[in-house]
Amino acid sequence: MSTGPSAREPSSDQGANGDPAGYARLRELLVGPEQARLEELQRRLDDRQLRTEDLSQVIAEAIALRLRRDHALQLALNPLVEDAVRISVARDPSILANTLFPIIGAAVRKSVAHALRGLVESINQTLERSFSLESLKWRIEALRTGKSFGAIVLTHSLRYRVEQVFLIHRETGLLLQHAARADQIVQDSDLVSGMLTAIQDFVRDSFTGAGGQEVETIELGEFNLWVQHGPAATLAAVVSGTPPPELRTLLERTLEQIHSDFAMALSTFKGDTAPFAEAQPLLQGCLLGRGAQTAKRKSRGFFIVAAVVVIALIAAGLFLVVRHQSRWDKLLLRLRSEPGIVLTSAEESWGSYRLTGLRDPLSADPEALIRASGVNPARVTAHWEPYVSLHAKFRAERQFRSEKDALEQQVLRFPLNSAQLGGEQLIRLDDVEAHLVNLQEHAASTGQKFLLEVRGHTDPSGNEDKNASLSEARADAVVKALIDRGISREMLRIVAMGSREPVRRNAAAYLTDLNRRVSFRVVVEAEGAR
Amino acid sequence: MINKKICMVGAFGVGKTSLVARYVRSIFSDKYQTTVGVKIDKKVVQSCGAEVTLVLWDLAGEDALTTVKPAQLKGASGYILVVDGLRRQTLEVAIDLQRRVTEAVGKVPFVCVLNKTDVRETWEVKPADLEPLAAQRWALIETSAKTGAGVGELFQTLTDAMMQEHNATDSTTGAVAG
Repeated sequence: MSTGPSAREPSSDQGANGDPAGYARLRELLVGPEQARLEELQRRLDDRQLRTEDLSQVIAEAIALRLRRDHALQLALNPLVEDAVRISVARDPSILANTLFPIIGAAVRKSVAHALRGLVESINQTLERSFSLESLKWRIEALRTGKSFGAIVLTHSLRYRVEQVFLIHRETGLLLQHAARADQIVQDSDLVSGMLTAIQDFVRDSFTGAGGQEVETIELGEFNLWVQHGPAATLAAVVSGTPPPELRTLLERTLEQIHSDFAMALSTFKGDTAPFAEAQPLLQGCLLGRGAQTAKRKSRGFFIVAAVVVIALIAAGLFLVVRHQSRWDKLLLRLRSEPGIVLTSAEESWGSYRLTGLRDPLSADPEALIRASGVNPARVTAHWEPYVSLHAKFRAERQFRSEKDALEQQVLRFPLNSAQLGGEQLIRLDDVEAHLVNLQEHAASTGQKFLLEVRGHTDPSGNEDKNASLSEARADAVVKALIDRGISREMLRIVAMGSREPVRRNAAAYLTDLNRRVSFRVVVEAEGAR
Repeated sequence: MINKKICMVGAFGVGKTSLVARYVRSIFSDKYQTTVGVKIDKKVVQSCGAEVTLVLWDLAGEDALTTVKPAQLKGASGYILVVDGLRRQTLEVAIDLQRRVTEAVGKVPFVCVLNKTDVRETWEVKPADLEPLAAQRWALIETSAKTGAGVGELFQTLTDAMMQEHNATDSTTGAVAG
């Protein structure tokens, strides 16, 4: 009996170890259903058809669930959608065109209206500003600083001030960020922001129906509320005074900047405004303009200074012009009164002058007269036709000169080695005397004083010392003869030339006779002094 | 800082405005509600360790002439349905409103307020009317504009629910981003 169990045990052991069929049955008994399920699962996983069917049952819910969680799906699908649209247009443009047809008109109208309004505003402003002193000042500043004219207008427009700027989340009306001037009494900006959105809705619902139009301006007395709408956020500016249209452009740009800088924060906004603190500098940049009061005072001060400067400049200019004109007039008067000068025309154009006329060569030098008058000689071109004036002064002068010339032509000749005047020479001395007397008369009438140099000459032959004393003796003889005839000794001067000034050098022997002579030179004192 | 837009809706004359009047900061007069159709108030509530600013859009009551505009509901993170216990009809309006608000803003947290609990004995609304709503897991709070009972609880309950939602979406977003 005792072997029974022991005998059965090995047999059962043997059955467990050695009977494969038994094992398989055991396994089937233990994990059979799971095995079948695993195989079924495997089949389903391998079968594309079945998998597709499975996925189709849950895909809509899965997408909806994921959309609620985050924006990853939108990002992932974005290229797909773009590509799909592109393919659709390439295949048959009419489908998309027909789909867009009901809305495209409104969109184009809105866009065109917006552009036209901007254009009209800018034309109005341009006309208003084109010719004002203010705009000139601004243009100069724009040139000087290299900024655009629009930016200068914004900084300097005198009649407006941006008091507050609200950045509002479009969908919820919640305030994202707010900037205000230090001196502003700020009502609860969260509430203002919400109410502003509510009023927008109210106006839109009440007056414009379902169209996508927006309130962009609200005017209340001297305050303007300018609202700029973006897809995800709204920018509202409270402005006192009359804002320039450039402010609208600034608001547009700021809002675009915010949309691009905070795209993610805006699309996932759940109420946390912390990320938008970084938009504060952008909003501060919109707080432009100055108070009308201070601006007016400043501008008055500026205009007083400007007026004084302009008046001073005009006065200085006038003074210069008048002084110039008076100098010119005086010069013309002087030229007209000057004997020997006949002014026939005097033209003035663009600061240069043209003189034409007649001039006696004996008259005063017109160039010197111009210099003396203070008129710039470089600006004056003069053309003087020479003529002979019959003025008494010039007639006497001319006679004096002709007598002088005649006198200086006179020569008294001497024999070799002699200082004796021969008979023929004495007759010539009469001529000399006559010319001299005439010259004295003319000199008296023109007020001139003169000396007569009596110059003794010898021929080159012989000793130079001897020649010098001989020439002196010859001149002395002539002077004595003239004194004998009643000529004053004071006006005669003896000059011994020796043989230094021959009539003709190295001439033939017979010509050397001509060198033995006395000649005359009239020295006018005024000329000598000059 | 966290800001949340919430709306308060209900039939005409259920006492919405007076219910919250003493508990919120307001700078606008009640005239706004009749002219613009909405009045905006503010309430700061502590929840989940954060300070939450509730911007409360107090919408004009529903009647034959006035209906709640979807534009005003847009972007709300939560809402308050106000029912006047004295008028059963206002409960029906609230049930209808709940459906329409859900259509407009999706499933967001809300609290249904049964007002005028100070005169509970004369209520037209019976517990039996509320049972189906409780079964749908509506948050029901009894309040009194007169005594102020339940108003604090109302804001706290709604804010907590909204913040739970807020943090849930935040954490999932974080997980995806990580």
